Amino acid sequence: MVLLSLLLQGQAPPPNLPYLFAALAVSWAVFFVYAFWMSRRQADLRREIEEIRKDLEDKGS
Amino acid sequence: MNVRSGLLALTAVLMLVDFYLISMVAPTDSVLGHVQRIFYFHVPMAIMSFLAFFVVFLASIIFLVKRASLWDRLAYASAEVGVVFVTLALITGIIWARPVWNTWWTWEPRLTTTLILWLIYVAYLMIRSYAPNRAKASLYGAVVGIVGFIDVPIVYYSVIWWRSIHPSPVVGPLAPSNSLDPTMLWVLLFSFAAFLALFCWLVAERMALRQSEEGVTQVRFSIRRAQG
Repeated sequence: MVLLSLLLQGQAPPPNLPYLFAALAVSWAVFFVYAFWMSRRQADLRREIEEIRKDLEDKGS
Repeated sequence: MNVRSGLLALTAVLMLVDFYLISMVAPTDSVLGHVQRIFYFHVPMAIMSFLAFFVVFLASIIFLVKRASLWDRLAYASAEVGVVFVTLALITGIIWARPVWNTWWTWEPRLTTTLILWLIYVAYLMIRSYAPNRAKASLYGAVVGIVGFIDVPIVYYSVIWWRSIHPSPVVGPLAPSNSLDPTMLWVLLFSFAAFLALFCWLVAERMALRQSEEGVTQVRFSIRRAQG
């Protein structure tokens, strides 16, 4: 939004702006990767529980 | 809607508003320019890591007294989330330092003690992973979680005890009054609220995941024992 407002005003972006974007991008990338890893792990565990349940059912029948 | 979904929705809304406030409402620093906006997430992430490690400290004490797995789970989840926050506080600090200090890294007290803090809690997670069994992992973790917390006040007071290149606190008990522009202050306080919601959501998710992991391990162990 900072860059957008500067471009709309016809100003050249200040030289240190990429550092701000880099810090924002890295922060959000790490949070998204961590949240994604947790959801993937939760899905893997659900699958594992389902496999255990099927194994037990097969052995019981 | 369960508590975790509610926390996620709250976090998403607060983060979007926070992004707008940081980009459009917070005034541009007259000396540092736009790069100073890193402040609105660098500082809250650092404070959230302190909060995370305080939760580890408290939960570890309660675990040692009560031996209830809930407190062990809370300590583990909070330590892992704390490591994520302190890693990002270090990375954003490094990115901010380059244009302002003209260097990516310097061995000044705040940066060095924060790096030590990061190493302590990475060691905490490694000790728990490499422990021979779950009971020992919880016990070793609780001890490291209590002892490791000593570094948190050292990090906080480092800028007072050893004056160096890193700025002094602008909020909190050590900050001088009126050290921050009022608009900057309330944008920063809003950022704290947004990152607090994010912290709570991540800890709640990690605790739920940890509970599932423990459940699956327990069931597999029981099946192996039943099979002889």
